[in-house]
This record gives sequence, C-alpha cells and structure tokens, in this order.
Amino acid sequence: MSASERWYRFLLRLYPPDFRDEMGGALVDAYLERSRQASKNRVRLAILWCAALRDSLFNGIGERLRPAVAWRRTGDWGRDMERVSRRLLQRPLFLVSVLGTLTVGLGAFAVVYTAVDNILIEPLPYRNPGDLYKVWTDIPNIDVHGGPLSGPQVAEIQKAGGVIEDAAGFQCGTGAIPASDQRDAYHINMMASSANLFDILGARAALGRTFRPEEGGQGRPTALVLSDAMWKRLGANPEIIGAPLRIGPDTYIVAGVMPPDFAFSCGAAPVPDVYVPFWADLAQQVPTNYNLQTLIRVRKGASEDAVRHGVDAAARRLIENAPAKTRGLSLYPVGVQADLVKEVRPALLAMSFAVVFLLLVLTVNLASLLLARAAEREREFAVSRALGASGPRVVRAIWFEGGLLGLMGGLAGALAGHWGIRLLVALGPADLPRRENIALDYSVAVVEVAAGVLLGLAAAALPALWTARVSLASLMSASAVRGSASSGRMRRALIVVQVALSLVLLAAGGLVVRSFERLVAADPGFRPDGVLTLRLSTVVFTNDAEAASFLDRTEAALRALPGVINVSATTSLPLSATANSVDIVKFPDAPGNTGVEDEDEPLVDGITVRPGYVETMGMRLLAGRSFDPARPALVREAIIDRHLAQRFFPNSSPVGATVLWKRQPHTIVGVAEQARLYDLHKDGRFQFFVRAEPGRSRGYWFFVLRTSRDPQALISEARDVIRQIERRVPVSQMLTMSEIVAEARSRERISAVLIAGLALGALLLVSMGLFGMISGSVTRRRGELAVRMALGATHGRVIRLVVGEGARLLIYGALMGVPGVYVAGEALRGFLVGAPPDDAATLGGVAIGMAVVTLLACYLAARRVTAIDPGRLLREGG
Amino acid sequence: MDRDRRMETLLPLRPVEFQILLSLAGGERHGYGIIQDAKGRGETAPDIGTLYRALARMVDQGLIAAVDADDERRNYYRITDVGLRVAKAEARRLDALTRAARLGGLLKKEAK
Repeated sequence: MSASERWYRFLLRLYPPDFRDEMGGALVDAYLERSRQASKNRVRLAILWCAALRDSLFNGIGERLRPAVAWRRTGDWGRDMERVSRRLLQRPLFLVSVLGTLTVGLGAFAVVYTAVDNILIEPLPYRNPGDLYKVWTDIPNIDVHGGPLSGPQVAEIQKAGGVIEDAAGFQCGTGAIPASDQRDAYHINMMASSANLFDILGARAALGRTFRPEEGGQGRPTALVLSDAMWKRLGANPEIIGAPLRIGPDTYIVAGVMPPDFAFSCGAAPVPDVYVPFWADLAQQVPTNYNLQTLIRVRKGASEDAVRHGVDAAARRLIENAPAKTRGLSLYPVGVQADLVKEVRPALLAMSFAVVFLLLVLTVNLASLLLARAAEREREFAVSRALGASGPRVVRAIWFEGGLLGLMGGLAGALAGHWGIRLLVALGPADLPRRENIALDYSVAVVEVAAGVLLGLAAAALPALWTARVSLASLMSASAVRGSASSGRMRRALIVVQVALSLVLLAAGGLVVRSFERLVAADPGFRPDGVLTLRLSTVVFTNDAEAASFLDRTEAALRALPGVINVSATTSLPLSATANSVDIVKFPDAPGNTGVEDEDEPLVDGITVRPGYVETMGMRLLAGRSFDPARPALVREAIIDRHLAQRFFPNSSPVGATVLWKRQPHTIVGVAEQARLYDLHKDGRFQFFVRAEPGRSRGYWFFVLRTSRDPQALISEARDVIRQIERRVPVSQMLTMSEIVAEARSRERISAVLIAGLALGALLLVSMGLFGMISGSVTRRRGELAVRMALGATHGRVIRLVVGEGARLLIYGALMGVPGVYVAGEALRGFLVGAPPDDAATLGGVAIGMAVVTLLACYLAARRVTAIDPGRLLREGG
Repeated sequence: MDRDRRMETLLPLRPVEFQILLSLAGGERHGYGIIQDAKGRGETAPDIGTLYRALARMVDQGLIAAVDADDERRNYYRITDVGLRVAKAEARRLDALTRAARLGGLLKKEAK
C-alpha cells in the first residue's frame, strides 16, 4: 500500500461507517487515480493530499451531520435508538415502573441539590462576599458562646487595622409606623447600624443614597434607608427622598431606597424594612452590654487564618483594657455565608448523604432490572453474536437503553423536582436562609438530566458486560438447566448490595424520625394549646402613666371577650428568642454562693411579665406562688427557674429570699420550670421572671390569652377590641402558641419528612427488586419445583423454599449494612435530639420493619408457584 | 401529477448533481469517469468527497442506480427514468432562466 493510499484510507475515517462501507473503496480509488497523474511531482502530490484532507473534513463531517441519514439508514445509533424505543414500548409496565422510580429518586435529588446549591453554595449578593466576616465572642466565665459584641468592642475592631479594612456594628429591632387617616398603625422591622454598613457590603441605593460617614453618632440628623418592599408599601413614590418619616416617637429623613434584591439582616431575623444609623457613639456604650452583631470586611483575598489573627489581636487589646468580668474573652470570625447557614448546614448535609444513598440504591436497582431484561433476551443476544454482531455492538445497545431511560428519568425528575421544591419551601421554616431564592433553575435541570444519564449508564454497565460474554455455545450448554446461572448470581449480588444500602438509609431515617418524635413530645415548659399571642407597642404614648393605663384597659377588655379564661403579657415570648434583657443577678445571702464572683453573678434572661402569666401560659410552678393580681406596695417580686434555685439554694427553699437584679432588690416569691425561649428540647440560659412595675410600661409587649375556644377564632375580635381602645397602637404577630411551637419544629420536621421519604423510597425499591428476582427465580426453576411437587412437596414447602432464597440474601445484605449503619449514626450524632445514634430500639425496629416488608415481597412473588401444574409441565417436558 | 410535484421538490439541483446526471445521460460511468467528463466539458470538476456523497444520496433518491460491473473495484452508475426526467426539468429551468436573463439584458443576445 502506498503512502497516498494509507493517507486516503485514513481520511475515510472522517466519514460515517456506513458511507465508508458503501463508497470508501471507490472514493480512495478516485483519489489514487488523481494522484497517479501527479506522482512524479512531490509538490503537486502534497497539494493533492491537502485538498483531500479539506474535502474529507468538509464532506465527512457533513455526511455525519445529515440527520435523516444518520437516523434512518446508517448509524448504529439511529438503529439502536429505534430498536430500543420499540422494545421499551412493547413493555409498558417495565417502562412505567422504571421511569416512576427514576422520577421519584431523581426528583428527590433535584430538590436536595437545589436546596444545597441555593443555600450553601450560591454566593451572597454583596461585593466580594468571600471577604466579609461576622465576629462573635466566647466569654466562658459568663457562659456566652457565639454571642454578640458590645459597642466598645466593635469600636476596638474598627480601629484594629491590618487585615481588617473596616467594621460595622448592627442590631435588629422593631419600630411602629403611626396610624394615619387611611390606615392603622403597624409594626416594621428595623436595623440600626454603623453608618459604614452599606459601604462594607458594597451595596448602593436604587434611589437617593445610603448613609454618609458623618451620619450616626450622638445628636446627628437621623437619616433612614428604606428597603424596596417598604418603599412600595409606602406608595412607591420616587419623591419620597428627603421626606420625613415618623417611626414611633422619632422622625427620620428618608435618604434612599435599596434595590429589590438587597437583603441584609441579623441572621435569622426577618429582613429589615428600614435601616437607620446608630444614634450613639459605639465607644461610649456600656462595655458589658453585649447587643451588637459585627460585620467586617477584610483585605481582598485574605486567608481565614490571617483574618483570625487580626481578630485575635483586637481581642487581646480588649482584654488588656477590659473589666475583670471579660477575662477569658475571645473573638472569632465566621464567613458571612457560613454564618448564615450554620443552623441548617447539618440538616442539609445529612439530606445530601441520604440522597446519594438513594441514588446508589436506584442505580443498583436499575442495574438489576436491566440485567433481568438482558437475561430474558440472552438467546437473542447469543444468536446475534453468532451471526457476527461484535461484542461492543451488543454492549452498546444495552448501554444505550440505560442511558435513554436515565435521560427520560432525568427529565421527569427535573419536573418532579420543580414541584418538590415548592413543597420544601412550604414545609420549611420561615427563617430558612434565603428561602425567597430557592427555586429550580435551568442549571439544576441540566445537572439533573446529566445525573440521570450517568445513572442510567452506570446501571447498564454490569448487564452490558455480562451480555458481552454470552455466546451461543454458552447458551446451548446452559439451556439444559434453564437459564444461565451467572446472571442469577449477579442479580443476587445486586440485591444484597441494595439491601445493605437501604438498611443504612432506613436506619438513618429511623433515627431522624425518632429524634423528631422526641422533639414533638418535648415539654417546652408551658401548654401551648388554647393560647393566642399578639404583639403591640406602647411607645406612642408620651408618658408612662398613659401607657400603663392602656395596658390595664387592654387586659380588662381582652379578658371580657367570650371564651377567654386568662390574660397576661410579657416582654419575651417563649421560642421567639426575644429575651431583650440579658443581665446578671446576685443572691446576696444564698447558701449556694461560692465566693467566686464569676460563678455567683450568673447571666440570666430577664423576662418581665404581668400578673397571671404563669397561669395563662400553663407554666409549672415548683414552689411558692405566682404573681398576684394585686401588687404589693414597696416590694419588687421575682420568680426564678429551677436551675437557679438548685444552684443557689440546693437544700433550702428560695421563696422569700432576696435577689439583686439591675442593682435593685427583688423578693423571690416562687420557683418555676423554664418556659423555653430558644430550643424546644432543652433549657437555655437561667430564666428570671420579674413582675411588671409601673414606670416601665412603654415598649413592646406580647399579650397572651388562654381561651377555651379555638384561639385562631379570637384573632379578629381581639384586634377590634384593641382598636376601639386606641387606634394609634399597632398590633402584629397574632399567632397561636401552637403555631409558634410548630414553627420552632419546622426545620426538624422538614428533615424528618425528607429523610423518611427517601428511606421509604429505598425500601420500596429493594422490595421491588426482591419481588422481581424471586418471581424470575420461580419461572426459571419451575421445572425443578414441579418435580418437587410431583414427588409430594406441598405448596407451603415449596413457597418456603423460594422465600428462603430471598431471606438468605436479606441476611447477607443486613450484615453488610451494619458498618454503614454505624458510620451513618455517628455522622448524624450532632443532628439528633436526645437519641443516641446506636438507639437499639429504633435500629431493631427498622431492621424488623425492613425484614417484614421485604419478606412479604418475597412471599407474594413465591405464591406464583401455586400456578404451576406439575403434571402438565412435566408432560410437556418444560 | 404526484410525480411532478415530487420532482419539483428535487429542483433546483446542485451543480454536482446536474453534472452527474449530465454525464450519465451519455452512458454508464464510474465516479472518476464523471469527473473526467466534467473536465472534458470544460467545467470545474467537483471535489471527490462531494461527488461520492452526491452519488450515494442520488441512489437513495432513485435518480441514478448502481450497475453490476465486471470491474469489481469500480462502482458504475446509470441514470434512471426519473433521473432523466429530473435532468430535463432542470435543463428546462436553466434555459428559462437564461432566456429571462437575456430579455433583462444581463446576457448578450445570441446571434442566430
């Protein structure tokens, strides 16, 4: 063969194979003929070679791209496609069941992937969000972990320099827009911050401007920036810039409006409606008043270590100049994104693992289904191999089937995920970070389809390889014993793997569900049913007497509503994390004092309540009494929680003892269990209830009403009553206590629902797999079983024999799964409420449940033996 | 009628297709022979790849047919009835265009 011919033959590869077969020889001959005329001239030959290359590139690729040809006449791909789809349509039941499981599994994948992608991975909409950190403090002496900072601490960080470019303090609160002629007063969410907050975030106003550096600080003119939502609520008037806006007793000048996508809030707090600068110098604030969150921007691209060192340096300076109380204080930075998602991160990671497991189960399941189908068709494969089809060609057909199923499943799964995400957001807690952003987008759909195809290809790998080994000879020799043993062995191995994977998933699901059950059963320290809460503010009143009178009249009017049993009010509603007074208490004469200042002056959540609070909330009083309706003269009363009583009065009754709070003596009248402020399932900081005193009536109050009716039904009546008393007072957050409890559980509920759903999906898959395998085995062994029955075995015996085959696989799978269960349990440890990850009852229950369901699947499949008619079968020589 | 309409969907022919039909109208040829024919008529010869793709396509369309030849290495083709009709239709189409171009002054009037 001449060099020219080799070159032309090589170029032929650019053409599709069928064209090559048909025309290749003639094409090469034509080229050769042409080059023969130029064979003496090397330059001309080279030109011809180049022309041939150009020609082949153009025409070869052009021919490959001709769709009609590729589809109809040529390509193995087109032929495969046609054959595979025809075969799938012939077995609609198989198609539907495979697509159904793929849809569910990949749909779950899409939901979790979207949640993880949107919450954990997608960058925040700030300038270089990677360079933004929040700073938190640990003060071990007074049991503060990850707490906010005080004004002077933030001021120190602002001066720190080095890697820290700038710092801002901020805090979130509530304000009230006063009533106008058109509408009642209402509450808004506010953020007060250092004037440089927006510069640190790199955020610009959509209208007007953000704060100027000189704004903020004592006695400065008070500017205000509106959120887009608030601006629209106020009428979306662009002329609003420069106009005054009253919030509570204060008047601000609107400086700017933020764009719609801007949202920055204090962690889980609702997104602020307005932003105002601080009124006071940070450095001048009380150094022990830890009430500010801190945001810093560090030098571009600075490493986390460098940031930590910078913050450490600032902390050391603070300790040098700080009071003894803050000894052992430390500061640490957390990236804003990590900070935002720290609460949901474990749950999302747990779910990701669960989904990966489900996908594995799904892959193995699909593999065993495809293998079963391949086994049914082994005769066809063997014949086509014998007729000259190459191994790769047969393998490719199977792979094609897997990929096609995966593709369809991926598309269906993306659709299912679209709806699933709506469900997730609906089920999810209101403070799920960035929930407004969670939606399935184009890129997730692409990932989804790719995942489906990959899964299909992976699942088809095993059956494809198995099929490649089939030959007519092996089939002939195997047909004597009905069906080949190798596919059966492989299927059994796949079942064992599925059982092991599902067991891990089920165990994890069982633990999470049990943990959620414990949370539901947890006693929060009060009886939530039948309690309605509402929030109102009395800051519109200019003096305290008016406010106090309003509170008294409101309480009386609410009490007069039909069905209301008791009414009271508090400054801190349980499970709303609204303890607005964190302070120290001292028990001067208590026996439990140690003489160490840090231990004898614990930090408590100070909760101001009106009389009747203990009864209305259904708290448990352990000793003494609650606050009487009639206020005793000259005495301030307090109720302490069980933990304080145990610490300071281990062997005596605290009732009657004196306690110092905010430097004023209070008399302890009772001891109560905590009404939990933060977590449903565990007590928080010490709780210290003080009776509402005159002189502190202006502010925000939560009224609580215990009723014999449905508390929901009271909402409008209660609102009307208050409006009649005073239109200027805004009422908000009218929620039943049961709703608040449910909201506190929603994060765990969503995890429990999702993980349990995934685990049940896996159980279903494994049952289907076993059912398919056992029924296939009955078909294959029907000759043998017929002989057994003919020789006198009863149906029951034969069924036991067949079910035993499945049971053995179950046991192998379970044994294989045990280490996985252990690992999964350890991984979930931090995530579980109260349940140890090796909770024997839960794991045992899961194992038994799985055994029952899967054995039932085996039994149902095995019942097919009753359809065997031994006489007929043996006569016909089956 | 139906046949005419099918024929119309094939028109206009690509230059290479017309060249093939033209050559085969004069008798059976193999691929390279068609190229030499085109050169002999003074036309630009088509690329070899283009030619063979067109041949394969036209066999599919039924315009030409492969001929069993003694020479095993070469594929000979002949024109079919349909192919002949299509070639004539194309020639008529081109003729009409040429006449129109002349009337429009784009081409010089041919001296009779």
